Amino acid sequence: MTGSGDPSGEVRTMSEPVELCIPVQSDLIVLARLTAATVASRAGFDVEEVDDLRLAVDELCVLVADGGTSGRLTLSFITDGDVVEVICALDGPAGVEEEGHPDEHGERELSVRILDALVDEHGDEFDDGQRRGWLRKRSVRHQPS
Amino acid sequence: MTASRRDPGETRQAFAEYADGGDERQRNRLVEEHLGLAHQLARRFTDRGEPYDDLVQVASMALVKSVDRFEPDRGVEFSTFATRTIIGELKRHFRDKGWAIRAPRRIQELYLAVRPAIETLTQELGRPPTVAEIADTVGASEESVLEALEASQRYRTASIDAPDRQEGSISLRLGQVDSGYEGTDDRMLLVRAMAELPEREQTIIRLRFVDGLTQSEIASRVGLSQMHVSRLLSASLAQLKEAFIPEV
Repeated sequence: MTGSGDPSGEVRTMSEPVELCIPVQSDLIVLARLTAATVASRAGFDVEEVDDLRLAVDELCVLVADGGTSGRLTLSFITDGDVVEVICALDGPAGVEEEGHPDEHGERELSVRILDALVDEHGDEFDDGQRRGWLRKRSVRHQPS
Repeated sequence: MTASRRDPGETRQAFAEYADGGDERQRNRLVEEHLGLAHQLARRFTDRGEPYDDLVQVASMALVKSVDRFEPDRGVEFSTFATRTIIGELKRHFRDKGWAIRAPRRIQELYLAVRPAIETLTQELGRPPTVAEIADTVGASEESVLEALEASQRYRTASIDAPDRQEGSISLRLGQVDSGYEGTDDRMLLVRAMAELPEREQTIIRLRFVDGLTQSEIASRVGLSQMHVSRLLSASLAQLKEAFIPEV
């Protein structure tokens, strides 16, 4: 990571992804939120955008964990100019089958709706036995006066 | 919960008509049709010290605001627009209530400085400040400011801890938006079947599937153990399922 706090308003780029691996536990998802907030802050996001990304990463974890309570989530945070991308993958048995999974309680639908509202792009897939999800959020890059 | 469900095309048409000088009756129906979304989003912020009913009220007010401000011509689905508005209001609610956070005193005291700093800087700059600007203003590190903001928001991953995904569904998400009943017949059937249940079971079903409470939350509301609630839910769902099985 090459960025740092930037009172001048100049947005710096990160050449290396920040990676985090956590068990699927809600009290540890705070680490994903804090990492997202830190990465976004260092990329020059304003406080509202930081909050949006924080919530979006929370939902991404929910979406990828898909109702499971075991396994591990591996998250990568990548900054490219004024865009922060987060990739989340589930390792372990917590995933459910891609096809025919009934979203009985509308949790997945709600997560997707929340992500629609908070980020510019997002998606998720079940491939090769692993569930993954990603999101991208662009800062409007307000320049301090 | 009394308005019959419209398909997405009809909903878009309804918004277009309301935006084109609609009346209060149309507005109320649009709000009523989307109350499930407000409940669902409010639930995402529960168990963090704020009463669920208060959160539902905040979310519902934001929903009303969304209906009034929605511009159907912009090509955005109402649910997306409303979700953003409701989340924004819930965030603001927690930010305003941040003084009550259950966090170390250091974080609480910092947050007491951060909150007004955000407001002042937003006014001065004409835009939301960056975390670096807030940190500079309150004389703290960016990491500390981020920690204080995290503590104030108290967002939770409700789904990950929710223990009850195995509960049967049969379209019982009464408050859910844009999914659920395929037709009015099922809805009427369910309403009739619900009426057959004892009042306590009706309450429990509504708390679970309309208000979105967990079994533990319901247990504390109705004064029963979580296990008892679980048993009543299972029995009630089985009884409701019976109503959907055609007689032979």
